[in-house]
Amino acid sequence: MMETTVVGQPHLHDSARGHVNGAALFIDDLPEPAGLLHAHLITSPWPHARLTGLDLGDCLSGPEVVAAITAADIPGSNDIGPILGNEPLLAHDRLCYVGHPVAAVAATSAAAARAAARLARIAAEPLAPVFDLVTALERGDHVCPPMVMRRGDVDRALAAAPFRLAGETRVGGQDHFYLETQIALALPTEDGGVFLHSGTQHPSEVQHLVARLLGLPQSAVTVEVRRLGGAFGGKESQATLVAGIAALLCRKTGRPVKLRLGRDDDMIITGKRHGFLLRWDAGFDADGRLQGVDMLLAADSGWSADLTPGVVSRALSHADNAYYYPAVRLTGIGCKTNTASNTAFRGFGAPQGMIAAEAMMDDIARHLGKDPLTLRRVNLYRPGADRTPYHQKVRHFRIPDMLDRIGKAAGLAERRTAINAFNAKSPVIRKGLAVMPVKFGVSFNNPMMNQAGALVLVYADGSVLANHGGIEMGQGLHTKITQVVAEVFQIPLSRVRVSATRTDKVPNTSPTAASSGADLNGMAAARAAQTIRDRMAAAAAGHFGVPVAAVRFDQGTVIAGNHRISFAELAELCHQTRVPLSATGFYKTPSIHFDRATMTGRPFYYFAHGVAAAEVAIDTLTGEWKCLRVDVLHDVGRSLNPALDRGQIEGAFLQGLGWLTMEELVHGPDGALLTHAPSTYKIPTARDLPRDFRVVLLEDADNPEATIYRSKAVGEPPLMLAISVWLALRDAIASLAPPGTRPSLGAPATPERILEAVRTAEAAARDRSPGTAENDR
Amino acid sequence: MRNTITTHINGRDITLSDVPPDRMALDWMRAEGLTSVKEGCGEGDCGACTIALGIPAGDHLEWRAVASCLLFLPMLDGRAVLSAEGLASPAGTPHPVQQAMAERSGTQCGFCSPGITMSLFALSRRTERDEESVLDALAGNLCRCTGYRPILEAAGTLPLSVPTESETALAGRLAGLSATPLFYSYGGRSYYAPTDLAEALAYRAAHPEAWVIAGGTDMGLAITKRDQHPDSVLSLARVGELTRLTRHAGGLTIGAAVPYTDILAAVRDRNPALARLLRRVGATQIRNQGTFGGNLGTASPIGDSLPALIALGATIDLVAPDGVRSVAAETFVTGYRQTRLAPDELVGAVHLPDPPPGARFYAYKIAKRQDQDISTLSASFLISVENGMVTGFTAAFGGAADRPIRARSLEKALMGRPWTLDSIREAGAALADDISPRSDVRGSARYRTELASGLLARLWHETRTAGGIPATLDMV
Repeated sequence: MMETTVVGQPHLHDSARGHVNGAALFIDDLPEPAGLLHAHLITSPWPHARLTGLDLGDCLSGPEVVAAITAADIPGSNDIGPILGNEPLLAHDRLCYVGHPVAAVAATSAAAARAAARLARIAAEPLAPVFDLVTALERGDHVCPPMVMRRGDVDRALAAAPFRLAGETRVGGQDHFYLETQIALALPTEDGGVFLHSGTQHPSEVQHLVARLLGLPQSAVTVEVRRLGGAFGGKESQATLVAGIAALLCRKTGRPVKLRLGRDDDMIITGKRHGFLLRWDAGFDADGRLQGVDMLLAADSGWSADLTPGVVSRALSHADNAYYYPAVRLTGIGCKTNTASNTAFRGFGAPQGMIAAEAMMDDIARHLGKDPLTLRRVNLYRPGADRTPYHQKVRHFRIPDMLDRIGKAAGLAERRTAINAFNAKSPVIRKGLAVMPVKFGVSFNNPMMNQAGALVLVYADGSVLANHGGIEMGQGLHTKITQVVAEVFQIPLSRVRVSATRTDKVPNTSPTAASSGADLNGMAAARAAQTIRDRMAAAAAGHFGVPVAAVRFDQGTVIAGNHRISFAELAELCHQTRVPLSATGFYKTPSIHFDRATMTGRPFYYFAHGVAAAEVAIDTLTGEWKCLRVDVLHDVGRSLNPALDRGQIEGAFLQGLGWLTMEELVHGPDGALLTHAPSTYKIPTARDLPRDFRVVLLEDADNPEATIYRSKAVGEPPLMLAISVWLALRDAIASLAPPGTRPSLGAPATPERILEAVRTAEAAARDRSPGTAENDR
Repeated sequence: MRNTITTHINGRDITLSDVPPDRMALDWMRAEGLTSVKEGCGEGDCGACTIALGIPAGDHLEWRAVASCLLFLPMLDGRAVLSAEGLASPAGTPHPVQQAMAERSGTQCGFCSPGITMSLFALSRRTERDEESVLDALAGNLCRCTGYRPILEAAGTLPLSVPTESETALAGRLAGLSATPLFYSYGGRSYYAPTDLAEALAYRAAHPEAWVIAGGTDMGLAITKRDQHPDSVLSLARVGELTRLTRHAGGLTIGAAVPYTDILAAVRDRNPALARLLRRVGATQIRNQGTFGGNLGTASPIGDSLPALIALGATIDLVAPDGVRSVAAETFVTGYRQTRLAPDELVGAVHLPDPPPGARFYAYKIAKRQDQDISTLSASFLISVENGMVTGFTAAFGGAADRPIRARSLEKALMGRPWTLDSIREAGAALADDISPRSDVRGSARYRTELASGLLARLWHETRTAGGIPATLDMV
């Protein structure tokens, strides 16, 4: 493996100092342009209704109010659907959830716009709403055609299996709760276009859809993103709404317009992680080795498709997690309900799919009276049993070795014994322990999206500016790109800057999503830098009269045979001798393909792996719980930056823990979201960090595929390691029940749900009748 | 009487006379270009808007983290203010807190970072910094990116920040201002912060429509969330008689405008169980502003502190222009958001007795999250057991009815009975008579009912803990 000097070092986030002294600006921090208007959305108070009238006269009566728009004011196409289309920016016919935008006003102050929005008069005929996922499923209300992933004859395998068990689990949704809410600032340009500062993970999509809304060519719209205050998938498709409104009002008034959603509006109006109903039916032998698996994964899409087809597809392709299903049928359905349209969220369906697999493993183990870890090991992918449900061959599978390592490092066998002894004599507190693997497929499921571009500029003084299509949202992407470019040129990190991401620098980019940011943009930036380096090497060779092969770049110096020249001097020399010092780089992931009709192919270039062991304690009187210890061993390939990668692992883990234990989306009887602010929607605080949290990066773990410096993607996979905490809670509850009984615990496992499962387990113990609790709630 | 707001922000003296008094400090600071102060929620629950407020305290400033989104602008008067822009030395050297946060990867997206930095700055001024106080300092700051580990590590390395000479002079100057009443008005709205109780009562009687605030953490929400705007505000935060905390044999007398932070410090040694409960009232930013008076005045059906006051037999002074009357904490709240306060009365003080000799006090709070969450149910018990028999028992619950309640049927069922699990089971029916919980986003009525008996069982286990077997998660 090549040696690297900049790549692989734990360099600080390039904005770390600006983050703590206020110098790092977010969109709402930018100096406000003269004549700025502030926009506010007008939304539906009905969960489902036919719009019959919209009177904005009173809204416009205030002296500070300048303009209002409805669907009728959209000069282009009123459609911001990212995949299937036909999703209006502003409702013109059907109102589909409480919070559905129907109009917007612009005023000279944010307070005036907010006050004006309240004066809108909306007339509508209420229609029957559907809020519940199961009702929508039974009625066949879908947002996209059902998807089926299959291999082998599952019906025969299930019928022939010596043992058979079925189960059901409900998993709730999750609000992104990025600290910076959705925002856009639109400025008119002198040639009739629009320049947008948009809080988006997908500037190209914002650009393209805003152009479509305005009826302008894409070249007339420019989107810039310097940084996001968190995104987690919530600013992939959802940012278009906010940018679109700002752009339309900007176009209508000819003035700059800012739309920033307050926290409550943000949570009520924009989509979240999909809640899922997971049903599985498994056939297996006496060892618990699976023979057939039939699963239904039904997603609560909310009112429209948005990214649901992709989310369901990824859920299906992760419902195997790390396990081989000899015969399998996985059915995925996006169900339509009258709630906000759910969207991308770190993991993009994979976490829900994996929960189906892990709940099934746990339940089969308890049904057979086996140790859950043993049962998981029996079912891991292995030689000869290495085809996924989508027919991709699992290669370079690291889970068995990683489970061995974590078992030793975490002392799992001894702790299991100690926990059993503790539980035997503890009347109030019960402990639980669980271990699980994560195998996460890296690449967008849609092969087209696996492409990236970069533009690298070397200036005459040898300083370097790199532009690429990826978005900095906290993950340290710009830092990693800077490291890659510095590595290629062999210059100090301080000589390379990454600028704001702009659609007029790199066109037609993919979203920064699917953990792909560094994989795709890092490779594109490296290629751009290599192009320039090759030209500079040729220039040095010509200047010193040595063969190009005798030129090498080494720590800020360029060595050409016996001659040395600094990188900066060589840049100046290139400029003097008319050698171009800018280049684009382009990368597309090789080897991937996927047939959407048959749901087969090789959608993933490679897999990222992780294992986690969690220990918890529960209070059987109140349902409260505590995370006592978590061990994580995670495979990031050869880390581009171990400090940043560790940050991704720890942050993702706690975010997953929040989703599965405390973050609860509660809707009222009219479908309105009741938990729309941090006073009622609780994300983890510092005290919720496992008090003993040991995170280790797998060593000597070069990616066997030729990724950027042999690294692996890290943004999403570790979130799923937190499923271990949910499994440990189930383990603690199971200790109260007779052998063979499955705990009845869905997610989020709030204290209330834990206590209910505790009571169910205690009742089963009293009845001594195993095999109850068919359904998880 | 002064009529301008005089403050000292990031090293600069500032005098304000042309901003409405119901403008929140967050909005004003951002408009002034201090954009490190972020809005994350507008309700004091996320910490992104945290600033440090320097309160004159003798020869130095006592720096406290506060949520600027709920801080009425006149609350900056007579105070020094620091935001992340002002932390570096005049020469530009980052403050050690900033260095620790940056160098230990305490930031990712950076949006919560200035607020966290300010919370850690306030922490760095304190000498006692065990693991719990670090967690307390950060409990009101949400970070969605890092998972907090690097931030906790940064907090663990902070050197003690010490006052500078200029701070001493500043403290003196600000103390002089704080001792003088403020009557600030702009745009037809006024804000009165008297220093004398008689003045406050006279104003209250003359202006019954005025919003009465102390920390303003509840009334601030009416502005940020409900767009309500008061014509006049009466602030009790500077009233001498209401900001005193007196220790005497047998208990404390706590002025209605004493912030929770100071109450917490006073009860820490005298009543550790109460201190554990008060640590879970809001988070540091809220406890630095919020008061007993405010919590009582809003008459929340949950009211974090009231069940404890009821169980301990506290009394509440209600003051009016013509005198003081004292009422039992138990009788203060009369219904859903109804109290015994007459229109011309103010909450004056709370007389909080220590648990009597031989009795033990326990206070429990159950919520979805440990920190900065409103109770699903809370319970406070004062119990005496002699020779295995219950000889004294007071029980109070919050979140179990339309107001905090005393569980008299339960008390009766247990008094004089053996202190056994059987007795507790038998008393369950009596408990059911006392409570009438409702379902809401924090929990179902059924769960609350189960919790009430569960907490009674916890009480028994906790009094009986033996052989190292934990009765609560705190003991694990």
